[in-house]
Amino acid sequence: MLNPLRSEQEAFRFLLYVAVVVGVLTAIVLLVRAIS
Amino acid sequence: MEAATAHSEHHHGPPAANVSSRVEAQFLGMLLFIISEVMLFGAFFTAYFFIRVVNGDQWFPVDGFELPKVIAGFNTAVLVSSSFTMHWALEGARNENRNALRVGLLTTFLLGLTFLTVQINEYVHLGFAPHDNAQATIFYGLTGLHGAHVFVGLTLLSFATIRAFRGHFTAKEHRGVEVPGIYWHFVDVMWIVVYSTVYLL
Repeated sequence: MLNPLRSEQEAFRFLLYVAVVVGVLTAIVLLVRAIS
Repeated sequence: MEAATAHSEHHHGPPAANVSSRVEAQFLGMLLFIISEVMLFGAFFTAYFFIRVVNGDQWFPVDGFELPKVIAGFNTAVLVSSSFTMHWALEGARNENRNALRVGLLTTFLLGLTFLTVQINEYVHLGFAPHDNAQATIFYGLTGLHGAHVFVGLTLLSFATIRAFRGHFTAKEHRGVEVPGIYWHFVDVMWIVVYSTVYLL
């Protein structure tokens, strides 16, 4: 399991996951707001 | 880890009562520090969500003042880039590539400094103060808290960069880069959350 506090490599991978997930969620919310 | 391995080479039997056999002290210190930091940011986000969700107050634009989304977006790109250069620097350390280590750390430091400079410039030109309204208080509180963390990260990075230029760190021993690296990525993760919630949503 990914543990961002175990090593820099895992922290970096965690950062990439967060960037993608937050980016997608933000895009969805902004899209829904624009439609409604 | 490394310390525990080195320890076992010189000493047989269980470690001393105040020493963990699984996590070295420096790592444990940063781990506990980051966990406490998550809780600190959590407190500020609680105030933010209270204003927006529980109270249902208008978020920016407030009193005619808008947040500079584009400039903050540029700053986000700068900070995310600095995580890539940080990772590159550490890969350099792991592969005994001293040039990659040095250039990576220096670039990370300069990108972090750029982020902080742009943010201070943003504060100067925003046009509202922390005491103007609750929204402004939360805005300055969250972004200022993050800015303070960037400053701490830059301090750690400056130590690591100076040490790298002095010839420190090897493929086996590079904890002085790895621990600031974990912290730097944490600061970056927090900014992604702050930018998306405070500026975009």
